[in-house]
Amino acid sequence: VGVVPAGSDLLSAAKVVAGHVTGFLQLACQVLPEIAGPTFALDRQRHQYNAGRIIDFYDQCGCSGPAKVIYLVNLDLFEPVFTHVFGESRMGGRVALVSVHRLMPTEPAQPPHWGLERVAKVALHELGHLFALTHCDDTGCLMHFAGDSGVLDTIPLLFCRYCRQSLEEALIRYCRLPRSRV
Amino acid sequence: MKDRLCIMIVDDESIVRESFKRWFEKSGHRVLTAASGAEALRRLEAEPIDLLFVDIKMPGMSGLELLDRVSADFPDASVVIITAYGSIDTAVNAMKKGASDYLLKPFKPDQLDLVLEKISQQRRLSRQFNYLKGHLEQITRFDNIIGRSEAMQEVFALIPEVAASSAPVLLTGETGTGKELIAKAIHATSDRAPCPFVPINCGALPESLLESELFGHVKGAFTGAERSSKGFLEIVDGGTLFLDEVGEISPRMQVDLLRVLQEHQVVRLGSRHPVDVDFRLISATSRQLDPRRVEQGVREDFFYRINVIHIDIPPLRRRKEDIPLLVDHFLKKLAHHTSKRVDRLTNAALMQLTAYDWPGNVREVENAVERAVVLAKSRTLDNGDFAFLQPSGIPSDGRTSLKEVERRYICQVLADCNQNVTRAAEVLGINRTTLHKKINRYGIQRSEGTKGDGGRNDRGRGSGR
Repeated sequence: VGVVPAGSDLLSAAKVVAGHVTGFLQLACQVLPEIAGPTFALDRQRHQYNAGRIIDFYDQCGCSGPAKVIYLVNLDLFEPVFTHVFGESRMGGRVALVSVHRLMPTEPAQPPHWGLERVAKVALHELGHLFALTHCDDTGCLMHFAGDSGVLDTIPLLFCRYCRQSLEEALIRYCRLPRSRV
Repeated sequence: MKDRLCIMIVDDESIVRESFKRWFEKSGHRVLTAASGAEALRRLEAEPIDLLFVDIKMPGMSGLELLDRVSADFPDASVVIITAYGSIDTAVNAMKKGASDYLLKPFKPDQLDLVLEKISQQRRLSRQFNYLKGHLEQITRFDNIIGRSEAMQEVFALIPEVAASSAPVLLTGETGTGKELIAKAIHATSDRAPCPFVPINCGALPESLLESELFGHVKGAFTGAERSSKGFLEIVDGGTLFLDEVGEISPRMQVDLLRVLQEHQVVRLGSRHPVDVDFRLISATSRQLDPRRVEQGVREDFFYRINVIHIDIPPLRRRKEDIPLLVDHFLKKLAHHTSKRVDRLTNAALMQLTAYDWPGNVREVENAVERAVVLAKSRTLDNGDFAFLQPSGIPSDGRTSLKEVERRYICQVLADCNQNVTRAAEVLGINRTTLHKKINRYGIQRSEGTKGDGGRNDRGRGSGR
C-alpha cells in the first residue's frame, strides 16, 4: 500500500496513515513522495473539489507501483449529491482519496492528534472499500458509515469480527497471504 | 441487520446516477439506474424494485408523474423524491402523492443513511404485517375462501346458518373446489371451534385401518394391537369430524358409523364398553352419491343420515368471475412462501386463465400459478408462462378445427349432465343414437360405470381443498 501526500503539510498525516495500515493490517505500507494537490477538480459553483473526478484521474495517471494507493489531500471534497465527503473510493478499486480538510480540529480545546486519528480512521475505512468491504451495521466497527466528525469520534479504531474475516479473505485473494495474517 | 435493498436511481444526469450508485453499492445494496421515467417503468415491469430515488425535474415524464405511475402500478415500491429546486409546496405535493420521503440536493451523507434506515424499517413492518395478516386469515373464519360469484356468495351465506346447528352436513363438489375449506369454515364459525377439527380421507385408508382409526381399539384386539388406542371419534370429542370421500366407506362400516351417529356412543374394537362421544359430522364427496344405485355401495339409511344439510360447491368453470381473484390470492400467498417476487399478470394471461376450464378447479389454479411463478423470468406473468395449460394436440394460436370444437363441446355438455346421455342429447338438440355415434367417433372416454342414463362425472378422488 502506498500513501501519497497530494499537497503541502500532509507528510505527518501520511506517516500516521501508513503506520496505522501497517499496524492494523500488517501490510507493507510506504509514504510516497509529495505531489501537487488536485486543484483541477475545482467546481467553481460549489467552491469544492469533485472527489469522483480526482479518483478517476489518479486511477489513470497516478503512481503505478503499489497495489493500493491512498491519496491524502487538504481540499474540501464533494460528490454531486452530497454536501461533502471525508474520503472516497470505488468498491474493489485501486485508488482511495482522504481529505483532512473537515477532519482537523477547529476549536483550540481539541488536541491536534484527534484530527490525525480521524484521518487514520477514514483511510482504513476507504482501504476496506478497496478490498471490497461494504458498510457495516456495527457502530463499533471502522466500516460503519460516519457522515460527520462527531459520529466518527465515537467509532473505535477496530474492525468488527465479521469485517476482519472479510478483510482477511480479501487479503488472501489479493495478496495470496496465508490465513490468520490479519 | 439492515435490509439489502434493490434500489433504482432515476435521474437524467449520469453524474448523479453514478454518484448514488457508488454510494449505495458501498452499503451492499443492488443498484439499477434509469435516465428517464419511461425507462424506469420498463425496468419496473421486468423486476421488482424496493426503492426508487427519483429526480423531480426530468425531460419527458417528470418525477411527480413517475411517482403517480409507480404508486398506481407498483404500490410495493417506495419512492424518495430528490430535487435541487426545493420548495415547501413541491415537498408537500410529493408526499401527498405517496412519496416516502423528500431530499434536497446536495444533502449530507448521513441524511441519506437516515432515509434508508426509515424506509427499511417501514418495509420490515409492512412485511411483518402482511405475514401476520396472512397467517391470521389462515386460522380464522372463512376469509381465505375466495369467491365473489353469486354461487359462492350463496355458499358463504349458508355457512353461519349451518354452523349454528349440530346437524350432519354433506358437501358435494368436484375435486379441488374447496370442500375441506368450507368444512373448516363451518367448524370455525360454530361453538365447536375451540375443540378439534379432525379430517380423514376415507379413500386413502384401507377398510381395516380406517375402522381402527375411527373407532379405536383395546390392547390385543388384533395382531399388532400392543396397547389400547383412542379412535378419532373419541379424539374429536366436542369438535368436528370431517370425512372426505365418504362414498368410499364400505357398507359394513356405514352401519357402524350410523349407530354412532344415532346413539352418540362408540365401542372400540375388541371392547364391549361403549364410550359417549359428542361430535359434529361433516362429510364430503366428489361423486354424485345415489343410494338407489346398488353399484355405488351407499346405504340408504346412512346416506340420509349424513345428508341432513346439503351444500353443493360449484365447479370453477361455472364461476369464472372468481378466477382473477383466485390468481391474485395465490400470487400473494406465494410471495409469502417463496423468495421469488412475481406479483403481476398481463391481461392476455388473465384472459387465457379465464377461458380455461380448470377441471382440477381451485387446486389446479394454485398449482398452475405456482408452476408459472417458479419458472417465471420476470415479475409479470404473461400467457406464455401458462402455455402448459393448452390441451395437447390443440394449436396454441387459438385456431381450432370444427371437429375439435364439437368434441370438446360434447365433453362439456356430458360433464354438465353428469354423463347422462339422454339429458346431454336433449341439451345438444340431437337424439341419443346420434350422440352415441359421436361419442364413439371422437373416442370420448366416460368414467367406468357411468355409461347409461344415470351416470356420474367422477373426476378422481382427491381430497377437497
